Amino acid sequence: MNKAFEQISLIEGVIAAAFVSNEGKLVGWCSNSAISPEALTFVSETCRVILSANRAEQRSAHTGVVAFGDRTLYVREGATGIFMAYLDSPTNDAVLVWFWDQVRPILESEGIKIEIPTS
Amino acid sequence: MLHQGLILTSQREYAQAMRTGLMSLGDAQTRVDVELDALRAMQLVPQQYDLILLDVILDSMDGLQLLLLMKQQAPATKFVIVSDSPDETSRALAYQNGADFFLERPRSAKALQTALEAIKGLIIRHKSGKSPADTQDETLASITDIVQTRCLSGDSVLLLVRSKGQSGDIFIFRGEIYHAQYPGKGGEAAFNDMMHWDGGQLRIKELKLSHVPPRTIEVPYRQLLDTAEKSGALDADLLPPAGELLAISGEIPEGSTASSVVLEAPPREGGPTAVEALLSSGVDVSGETPIPALNSHWKINLMGELNEGSQVGEPDRCAFITYFIYRKLADVAVTLEVDYFSHLTLFGPHLQQVLVADNLGVRHAVFDTPWTTEDQRNQYVQWCREQSF
Repeated sequence: MNKAFEQISLIEGVIAAAFVSNEGKLVGWCSNSAISPEALTFVSETCRVILSANRAEQRSAHTGVVAFGDRTLYVREGATGIFMAYLDSPTNDAVLVWFWDQVRPILESEGIKIEIPTS
Repeated sequence: MLHQGLILTSQREYAQAMRTGLMSLGDAQTRVDVELDALRAMQLVPQQYDLILLDVILDSMDGLQLLLLMKQQAPATKFVIVSDSPDETSRALAYQNGADFFLERPRSAKALQTALEAIKGLIIRHKSGKSPADTQDETLASITDIVQTRCLSGDSVLLLVRSKGQSGDIFIFRGEIYHAQYPGKGGEAAFNDMMHWDGGQLRIKELKLSHVPPRTIEVPYRQLLDTAEKSGALDADLLPPAGELLAISGEIPEGSTASSVVLEAPPREGGPTAVEALLSSGVDVSGETPIPALNSHWKINLMGELNEGSQVGEPDRCAFITYFIYRKLADVAVTLEVDYFSHLTLFGPHLQQVLVADNLGVRHAVFDTPWTTEDQRNQYVQWCREQSF
């Protein structure tokens, strides 16, 4: 898993990334800045709550993109946990698709599948 | 004695000296937060503090206006206004806006000591009356009994739970537990932890809920209580201390926990004022949306009150959800040490949502997932920016 996150850390624009399981365990992480693994876990858990905040109204979400000035926080929740990446640039849909295309095979090589529900 | 304090200033050196001084007015559990960013300061929940020191002039904001706003949210908290050049106008305005004490910024160790003595006197007088940390309507009670009683009665309440070391919230709606949270954790795990804080004997304040809270727990309450009881039967030494994250990977330094994150992330959502403010807005929310692709949209101010909206089915609930997400993002912003989020996009199987923040509030839009393009979302963001001006 650490090798996988080493690879993710090499993707252009990645400041930090992490995968937190449904049990709240930090399965893997990387950080090109001073952001600690505890902070990454905290952010992931907080984003998990945000994604499910409107579940009762069928407004729950599987993916969230937060713009903090020129930086972007990207979170994606799957059946086994939540993946987050903190990026050093603004993004659009095309960039996010490109980014996910880089990350998905790396995570899948470690047995982590984050499938997006279609309905 | 000081339990929890906050210093709002743009002067780092003064903040460090004052923080050290204030810590000396408390005990080992005393916590004093420092916030240097005025916009982030607006996202804090002032009710959690016994004492707040803020400068007359903050970097990008008038401290006296911020005082007015915070005093409305936290009338029991003591506010000290700090000024570099005290003049009668500022002093009068400070007291008019709710300050309890007006202080000239200490420039020497002796002046700091004198200031601390004055603040100590303020806290002692404060403690002899009603304080946010020891309010008379908070009673030491069995958390299990309270939860069980409220669920059996089918009540809708927000339980504000305080242990010796931390505090959290449990949302019960129509007799079921919908959500639990404390800084650093939410959902079932948070509920389970909170049931074991201080052996289950906690200070609990109850607030009536008249809206549906966000739901992160779907397990029936009986099962939750059973699980909590069983985990409580384990050897206490085997359990992690409440509020800490387990170290689960070799990369995490031994002994490190999330507590450092919590210390840097003071906002705690769902304060009483915010909840009460949301109960009824009376805003007309039936008009047309500004963009055809929009299902509905609304705007809240930084107090969580609904300002405007279009095609909003349940205004109070919508406002509450937006406020909830906004407060959660404040936690994230503090942890990542960035300013205020500018916008958030949520992609779900049924809907896309866009939240756009400015200095005065948050706008929230709901789009149909299959039909919405990035251009349409951007059009909404652009429209929001234009409204801000």
